[in-house]
Amino acid sequence: MRFLLPIVPVIVAALPVAAAPNPADETAPAEWRMPRTAWGDPDLRGVWDYRTITPLERPRELAGKAVLSDDEAAEFEARLVSTKNKDRRQADGLSAQADVANAYNEFWWDYGKKLTEDNRTSLIVDPPDGRIPALTPPARERYKAMRAARARPPHGPEDRGPAERCILGFNAGPPYNPSAYNNNVHVFQTPGFVVLLVEMVHDARIVPMDGRPRLPEHVRQWRGDARGRWEGDTLVVESRNFTDKTSFRGSGENMRLTERFTRVADDKLVYRYTIDDPESFEKPWTAVIPMARNDQPMFEYACHEGNESMVTMLAGARAQEKAQQKAAPQDKQAKNE
Amino acid sequence: MRTILAAAAAAALALGFAAAAEPGGYKAPRTPDGNPDLNGIWQALGSAHWNIEGHSAEAGPIVELGALGAIPGGLGVVEGGAIPYKPEALKIRNENRKHWLKRDPAVKCYMPGVPRATYMPFPFQIVQTPEHVLIAYEFAGAARVIYMNRPDFEAPVDSWMGHSRGKWQDDTLVVDVTALIDRTWFDSAGNFHSDKLRVVERYTPAGPNLLQYEAVIEDPQIFTRPWKISMPLYRRVEKNAQLLEFKCVEFAEELMYGHLRKKTEE
Repeated sequence: MRFLLPIVPVIVAALPVAAAPNPADETAPAEWRMPRTAWGDPDLRGVWDYRTITPLERPRELAGKAVLSDDEAAEFEARLVSTKNKDRRQADGLSAQADVANAYNEFWWDYGKKLTEDNRTSLIVDPPDGRIPALTPPARERYKAMRAARARPPHGPEDRGPAERCILGFNAGPPYNPSAYNNNVHVFQTPGFVVLLVEMVHDARIVPMDGRPRLPEHVRQWRGDARGRWEGDTLVVESRNFTDKTSFRGSGENMRLTERFTRVADDKLVYRYTIDDPESFEKPWTAVIPMARNDQPMFEYACHEGNESMVTMLAGARAQEKAQQKAAPQDKQAKNE
Repeated sequence: MRTILAAAAAAALALGFAAAAEPGGYKAPRTPDGNPDLNGIWQALGSAHWNIEGHSAEAGPIVELGALGAIPGGLGVVEGGAIPYKPEALKIRNENRKHWLKRDPAVKCYMPGVPRATYMPFPFQIVQTPEHVLIAYEFAGAARVIYMNRPDFEAPVDSWMGHSRGKWQDDTLVVDVTALIDRTWFDSAGNFHSDKLRVVERYTPAGPNLLQYEAVIEDPQIFTRPWKISMPLYRRVEKNAQLLEFKCVEFAEELMYGHLRKKTEE
């Protein structure tokens, strides 16, 4: 692929250096007043949209460049949008069949078309290179096994990820990460609880705020067990007790996830999460994702109820095996002897 | 739509469900926003999830489960005893019952719909804000948002958990549930409905740890008249009660996809 972004020194020089935005700023403007609930907590209620096309990890070709100028950002956005665009078959000479195999097209996608407002090149802000730290050897083995299972015709539903099994949303973690569509979370607050209802997949994550003890260590959940507290005006949610079936970019069951939600404007919330999992990553890492107020209601995403794909994937895999056996009966014979 | 509304109102009156008296005259505490406080974790007791009509105890379909898999009897939660099916619909109900495990959508971990979600043998949590009331159910991780005081907000599309519009009537949360698809059941006894279903629910505080639940069910395609179910809902009062994850998809996968698994070579 050709890299379209010209990193020309003169453009950079034209940027007023002092105005370079501080990546992922969580400070609210001095004149803005935090809305509060009737019981005095910061009011984060409502639907928040976390779509952005800023990638989680900084592309290699942008190494050393955390933030782009507006011109660079516009070109980068154009490139990302074009890369994701499934309707470009005519221009690129993709066949109609290839398009159908993609299953989704631009009508369906809702990645968004903009980078984060501060023109970051990665959602990851720490480590400073914007990349997920190296996996530890056992995590690497786990990851390899998972990749191998995903790559083969599925032996059973477990070979596919939790998103295709309709157990968890592909963008709904936890932690939340923008992806192809339905990047929405509806925040509810009531004394003692914050609830994070994600569109994918109709999942209400209930966060006790009353300082109660955690679940016993052996009680494990796909989304972990969340406990919340306020640090100043920031909602801090700490989750543990994940299952060994949950993996986010290579994480393991003993991941400690810390999420911080800070409202910085009427229509803006900053979401920052840190993954601390020394069994899986060589060091902790942190991403910052902006969330924008969404005035539209969310609708039910009934995934499992309509999951015809699982049947067709498995049936297809079995049919493929049958066809292969038929094509090479002597192999089977030899194996059996 | 208007005629349906009028019919529902008439039915409501006929069933005496507009009666304002709260059971025992209990007055609920208020939320900081000033509404009756229904926040908390609640659960139905009893055997309505097996069969909302009165029924005798009987053996269950899984031999290995023996006594533990048997279905306990129940007095029924349908006012007047029997559901007023049209004759042809009753035949379908009886067929459903005969093919229970094959046909019951909850067996596959599909979202149970309304009102069944209320009395599944699992807790649910009510989370109130002034504009929305969220009900999060443990079973299948189903959830629905009740839009408060937005009577004109029509459902854009049918869904498993329906479209819920709510209002306060004294201390009672009244929820009008429409746009329910026709694929959910009322229980494990084959009781069913069409996509013309409309459910008007009433959650009335009857004590610090007690809600009285009523639902008027109307579906002119299936039933000869609207009918009502009612039951108490109990607060889960144990310390640190919390909804636990019950992502049952993985518990239904073997049932749904097991026949498509790769045969392991012996």
